[in-house]
Amino acid sequence: MLIVKDLSIERLDKKIFENINLSLTPGNITILKGKNGSGKTTLLKAILNLLEPSFGSIYWKGKLLKKNLYDFYNHVTYIGDTTSSLRKLTIKDNINIWKKFFISNINDAQIETALKTLKLDNYLNKKVGTLSFGETKKLEFLRLIIENKKVWILDEPLSNLDEDSIELMKQTFEDHCSKEGSIIFSSHQNPGIYVTEEIQL
Amino acid sequence: MNFLNKIIFFYYREYKLNMSGIQDILTNIIFFFISIFIFIFSIGPDKETISLIGVGILWTLLLLSSTLSLRKFYQDDFENGNLLIIHLNGFSFGFISILKTFSHFLFVQVPFLLSIPIACILLNIANDKLFYLFASFSIGSLILSCLGSISSSMNLMNQRNFLLGSVIVMIFSVPVIIFSVGIINMEESFNSLINILFGILLIVFAINPWASGLCLKLSLENN
Repeated sequence: MLIVKDLSIERLDKKIFENINLSLTPGNITILKGKNGSGKTTLLKAILNLLEPSFGSIYWKGKLLKKNLYDFYNHVTYIGDTTSSLRKLTIKDNINIWKKFFISNINDAQIETALKTLKLDNYLNKKVGTLSFGETKKLEFLRLIIENKKVWILDEPLSNLDEDSIELMKQTFEDHCSKEGSIIFSSHQNPGIYVTEEIQL
Repeated sequence: MNFLNKIIFFYYREYKLNMSGIQDILTNIIFFFISIFIFIFSIGPDKETISLIGVGILWTLLLLSSTLSLRKFYQDDFENGNLLIIHLNGFSFGFISILKTFSHFLFVQVPFLLSIPIACILLNIANDKLFYLFASFSIGSLILSCLGSISSSMNLMNQRNFLLGSVIVMIFSVPVIIFSVGIINMEESFNSLINILFGILLIVFAINPWASGLCLKLSLENN
């Protein structure tokens, strides 16, 4: 599905990384590992076509990513290091906006179950701005379920999460992969998740 | 159909966001009216003078008040990553800038448009000029929104100096002010002046998605 071939990126004449090869097929989990500043986010940005690679190319379904970009975007959910939920609005409002904006076919019962699993069901009418950082991060993961897409690209998804939430994420990852989904995520630590490919940056 | 629905729900999102921060819109309107009062008090009680320069004052304050709201144009969506998510949902950066420009027009400029009749009473502007004022402001404010979009997207790349973007809006809005005030003071040339204003709108409307889209892409690239 997604192939990254000999990818190198330089910024301001500084080499960030070079010759990265990666292949993401249905059911695969790829982890990008490296220290802070090693270029994990930069690689994710390049995969999302936000950065022009200095060398190498990215393919989606056999075509150059640039020529098949919006088809790729139709299949990908990205969760970055910021919280995209709108802080001034309640959790309920955020969910409604996401459901409509992403034209989601997920029903209310499924969302309710996900909220219960994430232990956010009691805060439905609370403004996002009043939630703790960990809770906001968990709310962010709800977008994965609402968007219901095949490829998940996640930047440091496990940072600032407690042990229970990390365990929950592991299960979610496994569920997604069993449904022919695939995941690329970055981490600066060993998350203890079974991965099919490890890229060291 | 899906794409159309996405556009509709983009505006639903903007509506929800603006309604949750309605105090920002009200603050702009209050700034506008307080500034009118300050002008009136500083000019003195001469009705003729106020009436003569009223339209100029109105346009200057409309420009300043809408400049106040520019900081929020893209900043929040950029910082919380929503700009990228909207892009990943199938909207090009150029198209996002068009949608945001109309959103700025609807939620920031239209409240000013609705408060013009009250401002006209305060500034002793004749009722028969109201139509010309509405016509010029409808087009002029859309031009200001387009310019605002360009300057705000430029500001994302230059986070340290917000004033730079505002200065750009001010400079490029000079022709808008000249022709808009001209429409009201020279009613016999209404058609030709409104056509010129419409021409300026078409130019900035064509440049906006190209310039703003590029700035948005570059700012996300360098973020």
